[in-house]
Amino acid sequence: MATAKSFPGGVHPPEHKEATEAKPIERPPMPKQLIVPLHQNIGAPAEAVVEVGSTVRRGDVLGKASRPVSSSVHAGASGKVIEIGPRLGPAGADVMSVVLEVDSQSDQTAADVDLAVDIESLTPDTIRARVAEAGIVGLGGAAFPTHVKLAPPPDRPVDTIIINGCECEPYLTCDHRLMVERPADIIQGAKLIAKATGATKIILAVEANKPDAAEELNRAGQGMADVEVMVLPTKYPQGAEKMLIQACLGRAVPPRKLPFDVGVIVQNVGTAISVLEAVAIGKPLIERVVTVTGELVKEPRNLLVPIGTPIRALLEMCGADLTQDCTVILGGPMTGIAQADLDVPVVKGTSGVVVIKARDAVKHLACVRCARCVDNCPMRLMPADLGIACEAANWARADKLYAQDCIECGVCAFVCPSLRPLVAWFKTAKAEIAAMNRK
Amino acid sequence: MDTSKLRVSPAPHLKSGHRVRPAMLDVALALLPVSAVSVYVYGMAAVQILVITVAATLLAQLAANAVWGRQGGLGDGSALVTGLLLALCFQAYTAWPALVIGAVLAIFVAKELMGGLGWNRFNPALFGRAGVYILAPLVTALTRTFGASAPAVDVVTGATPMVALARGLPMPSKISMLLAHPGGALAEVSALAVIAGGAYLLLRGHLKWRISVGMIAVVALAAAVGGRDPVYHILGGGLLLGALFMATDWVSSPVTPNGQILFGLGAGLLTALIRLAMPPAEGVAFAILIMNAFAPALDRATAPLRFGDQRAAAPAGRAA
Repeated sequence: MATAKSFPGGVHPPEHKEATEAKPIERPPMPKQLIVPLHQNIGAPAEAVVEVGSTVRRGDVLGKASRPVSSSVHAGASGKVIEIGPRLGPAGADVMSVVLEVDSQSDQTAADVDLAVDIESLTPDTIRARVAEAGIVGLGGAAFPTHVKLAPPPDRPVDTIIINGCECEPYLTCDHRLMVERPADIIQGAKLIAKATGATKIILAVEANKPDAAEELNRAGQGMADVEVMVLPTKYPQGAEKMLIQACLGRAVPPRKLPFDVGVIVQNVGTAISVLEAVAIGKPLIERVVTVTGELVKEPRNLLVPIGTPIRALLEMCGADLTQDCTVILGGPMTGIAQADLDVPVVKGTSGVVVIKARDAVKHLACVRCARCVDNCPMRLMPADLGIACEAANWARADKLYAQDCIECGVCAFVCPSLRPLVAWFKTAKAEIAAMNRK
Repeated sequence: MDTSKLRVSPAPHLKSGHRVRPAMLDVALALLPVSAVSVYVYGMAAVQILVITVAATLLAQLAANAVWGRQGGLGDGSALVTGLLLALCFQAYTAWPALVIGAVLAIFVAKELMGGLGWNRFNPALFGRAGVYILAPLVTALTRTFGASAPAVDVVTGATPMVALARGLPMPSKISMLLAHPGGALAEVSALAVIAGGAYLLLRGHLKWRISVGMIAVVALAAAVGGRDPVYHILGGGLLLGALFMATDWVSSPVTPNGQILFGLGAGLLTALIRLAMPPAEGVAFAILIMNAFAPALDRATAPLRFGDQRAAAPAGRAA
């Protein structure tokens, strides 16, 4: 076990992980209905291959990847297609979705299937093809199609795979539980990823606040020369790819470049397990672990649920108190999206449903130039000045101040004493700059 | 499940708890020790200065808010801090018209005319104090007109340590200057009390300490090079209040680490030049005000390199 360096900036938000970090992953009863968006990934949406009235079995394809950078979606339960149309998605916009009425007899894949796989006999192309077929995307939240990530350009040799077990977002523990409960599967998945990309070294990166996870991974990886567990000092946003690569390897990914430009591919622990399941038993990405937690959730739990489960069903299972002003967040509280409705489904990138008391709506003040955002920005930007440019809708200046390099981690807005909605502004600025550049 | 109470706001949904008001109250709290020692040394004279100046500043803020239709300054605690800082820049026995003019200049001209808290280019308290210095004839005339008691100059204190230093007069002991010694502005009464306040700000994470360190170091160095006693130059005059409370004012100083270093060095250099070359007169105040003007330029010139920028210190490179 090695202890690594760190990355510049960052903060230490309250962790709030105690409610669920020791709770084993449970598989609750099937919900009555699944709402499966056809677009759950970065890139192009999938195209529906079923019709209203079609009967599907768990694992069947509902939508097929339409382009190279796209991802298929599958049925998380057996049942009948009762609707194909726009439904509210987690990002706040309508997404074309397939609605399934779940067959009450729908089986759940047995938990104890044999995931043995002979890595030596597999070619990179086979691995990529099975990953693509399974519709796997990054489960850390960004939801980039994994088969694309596993095909770095030939002139960018990859030497190291970093398996991201940082889970630096407060409240979330789904990755933590996977590391404690399925360390061997994570390592097998990582080896498949390494095989697909030609990497020779695997780093399992865990933050110091999860010593049990590090210990389990260490035990599972014992005697493997190419596998190293790295325990990183806990700091947000350690799970951001560029920060994590810096912390583990001391390699800085240049602005506007990608991890493979420094010979690295980063994959989330959940993604590694999905890759193993896809390659070993052909299981598509039809379910994921979701941490349902927050101060207003009576029974916080880590739940393994089918993709498409409405968050209403999750909150009913765990008992959420929505009688006071509250915020229901899909994802973690630093980067997750607050929901206006509960008929929104769990998608592949949904790591948690966090219900907390709503913050008082207070008008933000002018920037007082305290410099906390500048001191803590992990991308070394000037959020103070960028915020002032955005407030004035001066997008050309925002571009000059590198708005497009912002990773939207939320550190600046977290520390801002004037409560300025910096990240929200920067997201707008990115869209405006992109529109400007298209002209 | 009822969805009527769902509130939507942009991420991040957690906040650090840093807020402007508690920070301002921390600054006010940090000024308490030196205020207390000034009252101990000067008695009611200091109480008068503190009360009149703070009251005038708060009233000026109220009036300015009415003029510009704003709400800031009072609730956020910034006017209180400006008032306290301004008061501590005056000598005991300063007649009230000077205090009121200083308060009005600080709030109306330096702060609200520029757009209110966050938009002021110059430290409002120092701007007010320097304005009173420059407008001395007006202040004197007003003092006579209103029949305000004229300051009984130095009847109690004799020459201030900085004047004595400049004229080569015998100096008070360093220990007394550190603990409590009359002379000069209220804040000059006890170096230790000012340092204690600065330490509190540092502890609370509010202090742009790079500025303080640079400024004090340069003044000490310049004094030593000029053949003067650096300890007197640090303890005497307004250097400590300037370096710990004024130059480090959030709004009017740079936000980049290197900008803060340059800002502190510049303020120190100007302080030393003014002190060594000219009669002792608000050297610290003018040094900081001049540097205030350069703060935006310093920020632009010292913007940090983006993460991964090739010009940044060469990355460790690929592990062999």
